[in-house]
Amino acid sequence: MQGWAGKILDINLSDNSIETVPLDMEMARLFLGGRGLGARLLWDLVGPEVEPLSPENVLIFSTGPITASSSQTSNRFNVSTKSPLTDTILHANSGGWWGMQFKRTGYDVLIVRGKAETPVMIEITEDGVQIKDAQHLWGKSVFETTEALGQDRNKRNVMCIGPAGENLVRIAAIMNDKERALARGGGGAVMGSKNLKAIVVEGSEKNRPEDQDQFKFMLYETRKLLKASPLTSQALPEFGTAVVMNVVNEIGALPTRNFQQSQFEGADKISGEAITDEILVKNQACWACPITCTRISKTASGKEGEGPEFESAWAFGAQCGIDDLDAITEANFLCNDLGIDTISMGNTIGCAMELSECGYIESDLRFGQADKLLSLIHDTAYRQGIGHDLAEGSYRMADKYGAPELSMSVKKLEMPAYDPRGMQGQGLVYATGNRGACHETGNMLGPEVLALPRLIDRFATQGKAGIVSVHQDSAAVIDSLVFCKFANMAVSVEFFARTLSAVTGETFTEEDLMQAGERVWTLERLYNLREGFTKDDDTLPERLLHDPVQEGPSEGFTANLAPMIKEYYAFRGWDENGIPRPHKLRELGLDFAIEEAYD
Amino acid sequence: MIDERLYEEFRTIGRDIFVTGLTSSHGGNMSVRVGDKIIIKRRGAQFGRLKRSDFVETSFEGKDSGIVRASTELIVHRAIYEQTSALAIVHAHPRTAITLSLSRDEIIPIDNEGSYLLRKIPVISVEMASGSSEMATKISEALRGYKIVMQRGHGCFSTGQTLEEAYAWVSALEEVSDIILEHKLLGEPMIEYRKHSDAYARW
Repeated sequence: MQGWAGKILDINLSDNSIETVPLDMEMARLFLGGRGLGARLLWDLVGPEVEPLSPENVLIFSTGPITASSSQTSNRFNVSTKSPLTDTILHANSGGWWGMQFKRTGYDVLIVRGKAETPVMIEITEDGVQIKDAQHLWGKSVFETTEALGQDRNKRNVMCIGPAGENLVRIAAIMNDKERALARGGGGAVMGSKNLKAIVVEGSEKNRPEDQDQFKFMLYETRKLLKASPLTSQALPEFGTAVVMNVVNEIGALPTRNFQQSQFEGADKISGEAITDEILVKNQACWACPITCTRISKTASGKEGEGPEFESAWAFGAQCGIDDLDAITEANFLCNDLGIDTISMGNTIGCAMELSECGYIESDLRFGQADKLLSLIHDTAYRQGIGHDLAEGSYRMADKYGAPELSMSVKKLEMPAYDPRGMQGQGLVYATGNRGACHETGNMLGPEVLALPRLIDRFATQGKAGIVSVHQDSAAVIDSLVFCKFANMAVSVEFFARTLSAVTGETFTEEDLMQAGERVWTLERLYNLREGFTKDDDTLPERLLHDPVQEGPSEGFTANLAPMIKEYYAFRGWDENGIPRPHKLRELGLDFAIEEAYD
Repeated sequence: MIDERLYEEFRTIGRDIFVTGLTSSHGGNMSVRVGDKIIIKRRGAQFGRLKRSDFVETSFEGKDSGIVRASTELIVHRAIYEQTSALAIVHAHPRTAITLSLSRDEIIPIDNEGSYLLRKIPVISVEMASGSSEMATKISEALRGYKIVMQRGHGCFSTGQTLEEAYAWVSALEEVSDIILEHKLLGEPMIEYRKHSDAYARW
């Protein structure tokens, strides 16, 4: 293969059918792969009548044209489905080895439909595709399952759910390669609803770039850029993603105690520096990645594993008012083992802490209680006690107790580690996120904090819509090819376009890709509109809109969303209700969606 | 229409472009895209002495009365915004780059920084040198694959997410061009120090 393998594996667990169908290459060129192709296929397969946890929902696992090409960070893959947490379109992607290995089986995409009568697993090897009994694995943890199925670093790779997915926890993750996660939005619950415990892949096909000379040149140039960037060559390898903990805290944008404050007095104790000094065993890389940002850590009690990433350290740390690094790290490990999204878990626990402190729920739970983390996570996975509420995510939980305003979420997806009051553009990213409050779909950390590509005023609102839109579109490109966002901290979309051209032998310019990104973003928007979402869902929690930050570098600021939203719709060519105009859809090649979008 | 922050950015970058000799007193122009509007320097305004009254707001797609006062190159700016994801454009007249453009179809940096930042700058010939639809089409098409392009004998167009970014490419281009010219004047053979440098021509 050169780029696309040209095949989709289509499995229906209701009738055990296994089909190989050709990939529509025109569709592939328009939507690239990964998240884009997932969105396009989901548009046709899952309409508004489908409940997320019903057999009619589908899981679409998709790689991109550069996957397994050996280009730097070409290991990632995507899952698309309808989210049981948000009811929006969902995409989530993950690194490690599984994506690369799946591509080596000779498929671009795996679609899983229906529901098995009893727990099953799928195995895709050179011997063929099999649906196997997995009743003996049901109830086992992620680590146990991964080991039982013979995970072998770059030869045989396991993706599975843990007890959280089996118990239809709405914040359950799908885990691959033991500790990597398709984390956000509850994909694990969708997999659980299908009685699908695991997917194991072994392949040997190669993604051999068409233009070898140009591909080698791009590898060389990309390596130069990754080396030249202090972020990718020094900061991330030395301190991991939590290297930004102190940076974000210093500017007053680190949400603390369920976003009641924007600076955490214990930030230094949970920072990248602290992780390196106190618990780091070694750093590790995903397949074909020179950055090595993964942390292998060991706590005082001897527990060892991957993490914590910045977001996880924040979620169980500042968000919960906890500065005990060991407790945070073990909470991260337990989430990995039970198959839970750490951002939503930590955010939801922080929400529960505030609900309890304010008397909405009868509990002695308080901010800062590090000793409660493990039991809360365990109870969430098994839906026991208060865990049954936590398993529903912060919005449903807070709503049940009469205080939905205490859920720090957008479209019911819990917000990550940046306070929009100190990063106005990030607020617009959250509010307009197609899968809800997500930093991965247009992160403003680069321009608003790290000066990538140039530093912009983080408190300004005029002109932010354009920058946010460009970052959303480029994130959609990266998620569709599929590259890693951290590579994009040093390497521009222009490079990705030239690498894609070398791999496929077809010419793609930077702007071809940016238009593809806009196409993906717009189709996701249309999907949500078809589901009944409106402009009223493009908002932020009341606290962020109306309660100014009380002290620190962001003192006095609220999230000034209204003018940015107005400018954003105009920039994107949408009407005042946030509906893409027909001419925009035609321009993007989304003609097929016009009728349904305006139904 | 234009907030204090954006005005300050226009003013300081305009001044820097002039004082560093990247354009003459009244030549060149720059713009940003905000929502569905383009904010562009007024025709004939001095680059180094921009005032609030020196900016024109015009629509991104349709025509309006803003075009009466806007830069002659508005048609090019509009085409660039339509064809690319640019949020800011700088058009300047860097004299060494213009000199090189008279005798070559591309400018390939020989210095390390220029190679790292730009790799190659294409040179485009246009019959109608200013404000023509031919120019708009050719320049905007070239900018789909490059950050900055030269129009032979006229000047450069560069894009960015901010004015500062677009300005940075112009500044880099002129430094690249100065070094090429000075090395040529020196007349000594170049000792190649860059691996894969022959591939820059294919960039």
